[in-house]
Amino acid sequence: MELRKISIRQAAEAVSCGDISAHQLIEETLKNCSVLNEGLNIFTHLAGIDALEQAKAVDRKIEKGERLPLAGLPVAVKDDICYGVLPTSFGSPAFKEFFSPYTATAVERLMDAGAIVIGKTNLDDMSLGSSTVTSPIGPTANPWDTERTAGSAGAAAVATGLCMLALESDSGGALRQGASHCGVIGLRPTTGRISRYGLNASSSSFGQIGITAISGENIISAMEVLSGFDSRDASTAICKEKPVGQDIVPETRELIIGYPAAAFDHLVPDLREVFEQARELYTELGFQFVDLELALLPEALQAYYVIALAESSSNHSRFDGVRFGAAEEAGDLEELYCESRGTILGREARRRSIFGTLLLSKGNYDLYYRQALKVWNLVRREFTDALTKCDLLMLPAVNKLPRLCSEEAGFPDHWSDDIFCAPVSLSGMPSLSLPAGQLGGLPVGMQLVGRPFSEEILAAACDRMVREIKLFPHGNS
Amino acid sequence: MISMSDAQQGLDKAIRVMKIKVALSEQEELDRELSVLLKWLEPMLTVDTAGTEQVLTSHDALNVVREDHARQGDLAELQEAAPDFAGGFYLVPPIIE
Repeated sequence: MELRKISIRQAAEAVSCGDISAHQLIEETLKNCSVLNEGLNIFTHLAGIDALEQAKAVDRKIEKGERLPLAGLPVAVKDDICYGVLPTSFGSPAFKEFFSPYTATAVERLMDAGAIVIGKTNLDDMSLGSSTVTSPIGPTANPWDTERTAGSAGAAAVATGLCMLALESDSGGALRQGASHCGVIGLRPTTGRISRYGLNASSSSFGQIGITAISGENIISAMEVLSGFDSRDASTAICKEKPVGQDIVPETRELIIGYPAAAFDHLVPDLREVFEQARELYTELGFQFVDLELALLPEALQAYYVIALAESSSNHSRFDGVRFGAAEEAGDLEELYCESRGTILGREARRRSIFGTLLLSKGNYDLYYRQALKVWNLVRREFTDALTKCDLLMLPAVNKLPRLCSEEAGFPDHWSDDIFCAPVSLSGMPSLSLPAGQLGGLPVGMQLVGRPFSEEILAAACDRMVREIKLFPHGNS
Repeated sequence: MISMSDAQQGLDKAIRVMKIKVALSEQEELDRELSVLLKWLEPMLTVDTAGTEQVLTSHDALNVVREDHARQGDLAELQEAAPDFAGGFYLVPPIIE
């Protein structure tokens, strides 16, 4: 079964009807994983026998007449999301043997719906980044150009047809940028729409579990299972609006898209041209565009990083290195902490912890942290106001092509890569990254940003744009 | 914006507070990065936020599950639920074996 060419509904139906058993599908998938993983370095752990056992259990449920919306479908889970069956490393050597005593709600919900976890996907050290170049097992290569990074390993897994869905985290834009680099669809949902229970987020305010898939339709199939209140995560929203459902497909021709032209000035001319061409094509399809302004994008990025650094310093404080990691020989407890933390926290985690502490210290707290919280408010207002003038906002997902696997990011260039994604994270609004064009043979993605809880509209608009434009007539690599 | 000398003193303190051993070469690099960071953050400091409330969440649609009411707890019930209790301290079961 070629997972890239059929929808989740079709695949689940094929398994439910017995056209292919869940066991056969997963066996075939795992074989493909072994082959492709050697070249692309997508997985930190493959599930192997555990996935096959899960698949058998799904087949037994189907035999008993149970209807499962994701029957037997392979999913990948980023390695900062807890799954009790496989190690959860957070991208850190210190946790390479760590088995979480519990499983994230989002993973549980997928499994309850019949999905099979085939493996944990690669990530940057402590999930701090959007390139995987600081991963202890090395970067994940981009399926379109293996000299370059995939940005997100889950996106690479979806692009190569190894899974139908990838669960991934997104704080400043890792999921959306990865989807852009790999030519697939990535949704960061409305903050709180998918439970974060079991997500190891360095930034508590912005870390959100999202979905990567091959189409908007598949994203919504996953949202039907994933969204909703979770008593184990008090920050999940009880959505009082209509439930997620594929029967709610808006007439996308009528949609008005806000185009903040000045935002595109942050791009090099070649890249800007890709989005200008996309806008022309969408206009031909019947989408209407209005020009508007998002004046605070650079300052929003800076505010995001002040808050994210502060939260990193707090969240990383719990890693004392005594139980997990490098408990070194030391003269006293203080020395043991310093030695261990100096080892288990990677370069980026050390940088963020130290700078975060500095920005929270007396004298800096009001100047930087409080100011960032106020700018956050202004950014929220700016996005809310913009979405009173239009139904959706169009923004780039990336400011450059994926970096080379061998390339070390200069400071703070790798933070500037989040210029278009981090401000949306501050707004809390749903954002869907979809292919908008190509540059130098590599996919380039844009974001559609919608009002809170408007994921169905984003997905419907996305599918119309992608289907009509036929950006990748020969399929992915 | 804070002065560089204050910032560098603050950096030394932050390294101590965070209990992270940092090699001398890395500390020198952090010094350089700090000046870049403070410069990078300057535009945010110039945003006019007069009269703007600070926020702590992305939007207002999130739940408040229930109101927080102070009430008298049942000490005996709590003590019964714990494996042991002595001198005001509770023995709690291990979370991770």
